Amino acid sequence: MNVRPVLIVEDSDEDFEAMRWAMRRLGRHDPLERCCDGDEATERLRDRDRPWPRVVLLDLNLPGTDGLEVLAFIRRDPQLRSLPVVVLSTSASEEDVNACYDLGVNAYLIKPVNFEQFTEQLRVTLDFWLDLARLPEPPERP
Amino acid sequence: MTGRSGDQPPGAVRTARLGAPVDLTNCDREPIHIPGAAQPHGVMLVLRDGQPEQVSGNTAGHFGLEVAQVLDGGLGVLLEPEVLERVQASLRSEALDDSPLFLLSTPVAGRGLFDLIAHRRAGLTILEFEAVTSGRPRVDAYAEVRRAMNRLNSAASLSEFTSVLAREVRQLTGFDRVMVYQFGEDGTGTVIAEERRDDLTPFLGLRYPASDIPQQARALYVQNMLRIIADVGYEPAPMFARGPEQEPLDMSYCVLRSVSPIHLQYLKNMGVGASMSVSLVRGQELWGLIACHHQTPRHLPYDLRSACELLGQVASVQVSARQEQLNQSYRLNLKTAQAQLVERMAEERDLLEALVGSDTNLLQLIDAPGAAVTLHGETVLLGVTPPREQVQALLAWLDTQPDGDVLHTTTLAREYPPAAAFSAQASGLLAVRLSRSRHDYVMWFRPEELQTVTWGGDPTKPVEVAPDGSDRLTPRRSFEAWMETVRGRSRPWQAEELAAARALRRAIMSVVLRRVEELGALNDHLERSNADLERSNADLDAFAYIASHDLKEPLRGLHNYSVFLLEAYEHQLDEDGAAKLRTLVRLTQRMDALIDSLLLYSRVGRVDLSFRPTDLNDLLRDVLDVLSPRLEQLRVQVQVPPDLPTLTVDRVRTGEVFSNLVTNAMKYNDSPQPTVQIGALRPGGRGDLRVPPGVPEHATVLFVRDNGIGIREKHFENIFRIFKRLHTRDQFGGGTGAGLTIVRKIVERHGGQIWVDSEYGQGSVFYFTLEA
Repeated sequence: MNVRPVLIVEDSDEDFEAMRWAMRRLGRHDPLERCCDGDEATERLRDRDRPWPRVVLLDLNLPGTDGLEVLAFIRRDPQLRSLPVVVLSTSASEEDVNACYDLGVNAYLIKPVNFEQFTEQLRVTLDFWLDLARLPEPPERP
Repeated sequence: MTGRSGDQPPGAVRTARLGAPVDLTNCDREPIHIPGAAQPHGVMLVLRDGQPEQVSGNTAGHFGLEVAQVLDGGLGVLLEPEVLERVQASLRSEALDDSPLFLLSTPVAGRGLFDLIAHRRAGLTILEFEAVTSGRPRVDAYAEVRRAMNRLNSAASLSEFTSVLAREVRQLTGFDRVMVYQFGEDGTGTVIAEERRDDLTPFLGLRYPASDIPQQARALYVQNMLRIIADVGYEPAPMFARGPEQEPLDMSYCVLRSVSPIHLQYLKNMGVGASMSVSLVRGQELWGLIACHHQTPRHLPYDLRSACELLGQVASVQVSARQEQLNQSYRLNLKTAQAQLVERMAEERDLLEALVGSDTNLLQLIDAPGAAVTLHGETVLLGVTPPREQVQALLAWLDTQPDGDVLHTTTLAREYPPAAAFSAQASGLLAVRLSRSRHDYVMWFRPEELQTVTWGGDPTKPVEVAPDGSDRLTPRRSFEAWMETVRGRSRPWQAEELAAARALRRAIMSVVLRRVEELGALNDHLERSNADLERSNADLDAFAYIASHDLKEPLRGLHNYSVFLLEAYEHQLDEDGAAKLRTLVRLTQRMDALIDSLLLYSRVGRVDLSFRPTDLNDLLRDVLDVLSPRLEQLRVQVQVPPDLPTLTVDRVRTGEVFSNLVTNAMKYNDSPQPTVQIGALRPGGRGDLRVPPGVPEHATVLFVRDNGIGIREKHFENIFRIFKRLHTRDQFGGGTGAGLTIVRKIVERHGGQIWVDSEYGQGSVFYFTLEA
């Protein structure tokens, strides 16, 4: 059986490492899958043979195709559009926030520098999306 | 015209006296070229087609023949046949029209020698017989003139030239006094050179009214270069003719022409017994005279007179050339002075200083004793001028004058009556208008001419009364009449001077225009710089935003890894190592705060504000609500009047301003009872509050006052600099030092200003405006 992972689109190894550290600290062992940039993420999502992620944690500031484009790609694609996407970004700019919600993001979180806060933020997010929320089923394969 | 019985000579021919007698009352109309009489030291005989037609009435005394005998017999009764033949041959062959020619010296009617001079005018042949003084050697006119010319040529200047001329003429003629007159444009004559007997009063430098030589006399002086009066006490010899229908004789070229009794009176008044004058002509104008006076009668023989006349002609040419040179050098001086002025104007930033500066100024440009410049309301006086307030009053009058860039007058008081009060300084005005609206003028003043010259004679001397009791027109009375006409009048402004004034105006205008252009260019440059600055400010804001953003990621890495290390390895490290790791974590948090401030600051610059009328009472209520937990915690007393105004501002940003200032007021406060006062000073309600330049009258000044620790005056500006802190990081609750910078940026984006007033240890007041 294909385990549906949490897809993390994050170019920074340190940030990814922080996420893993935080999850370990939170005692979560959900499978993680990482894409290091926007292009890799869209490739991964186009690949129908690979399992639908349960939730996408998307960084906005990515080399090449940036987070907003990845988000737009997801929401345009009829197969992917219902996928929950949570943006994790350094940017507190209203423009970025509004742009993401315009494109149909499920939530927008600002990455704090403080690890305690980050861990707490991640705990709430994962508890909600992975444990609490009822997630959509992947569409039927053609 | 009928002859008077006493003048009627006996003889066969019926004769008539010619010409109207002139008295002292009609000299202005006097036709001096047809006086109807001759001077008695010679005989004048007029022939038409060889036949005698007129003769002077003094034939008996000179020739022993009556007038009728001469008119009847003609040359035949006067000259020996051989002489007659020579004379007639000369009269036939020589060009005599308007050009007297010495024919010969000969005995006449068996009497002594006479010089015979002939010329033709209007179809008449005029012969003049002058008695020759016996025993005097002939003068070689050519040699005399050549000798004199050699000396004249070596004269360097016009004044030296005229001095030499006077000396040479006196040497040649032996007159008691020889003067050179120069006529001004107004006709007055000035004695510019003089040679005289030592015992005579000097006339050098004296000036004579134009009326002393009437207009018609001047015209005659140009035609006929030489005039003599052998004896001012002479009895004129009237002219007689064959019939009463005769026209009076035109004596323009006659040396024996009888002169005006007015002139004779004039000379008598001066104590002159005989005179001679030689014209100095420049082109067709009478430039001046060589005037010779003798105290006793003196008859200068023909040869000497011709020498003088020749000298006069040569001197005329020389004088013209030298005068031209003088004029040219004046023009050149004008040009040089003008060039120097223009040069100074180009170098000197201050136009006024350039015009009145010490080396080259307006008085060097135009020959006037006084000048004034008014520029931008400042008046500078140079030399002899009317008082300052009079000059300034004059400006108002100049403004009312019709268009004209260069105004000039020699009779200012006539056009501007108040000028009568200062005619001694400024009867003449030459004004260059630079700007009517700003009353900018350059002016030159010339005094009343009466103030500047020494006049020949006493102008206050009363009218002379003739021995017969009649009130007679005398030269002194003409002087008085003339004085009336020159009162309040200055020396005229020459064409060259007006041209120089115009040129100066052009130069000033072009300098002013160039400055305006420069200013315009500077403005353009400033505008461009401003645009550049705005753009680069925006770029900087964007840069700060993006950079801060990007800084966050490695910062998070540093922070996280420090945390991981602490979590994973704290128990393996000693306390020192653990402390250092904790410091690392704290530093990353501090850096995070700084980056947040920078982000906030750059956002204030980038984000568009949304201006709406905002009730500050409402706004402040919200702000204080948010701050209330800390305010309560620190037991701060906040006083806000309930009547704050409504201003058009960005609500959120203005809230940040108040929030920041109130936070500072409570943070930097160690008073037992911290107090914060907020208020608004409406226009007109500022009292003696000093506001920085640029804060408009109509702006409401808002303030936040505290009784906190205060700020030293040297830091009043520093506190607004980003990340500039006055205290250590952890004093007074910490902070990044960006708060006031952000506040100032918000205020500035509202078109306002913020400033601080504080007494160290007593508290501070932050004042600000939110409207331009």
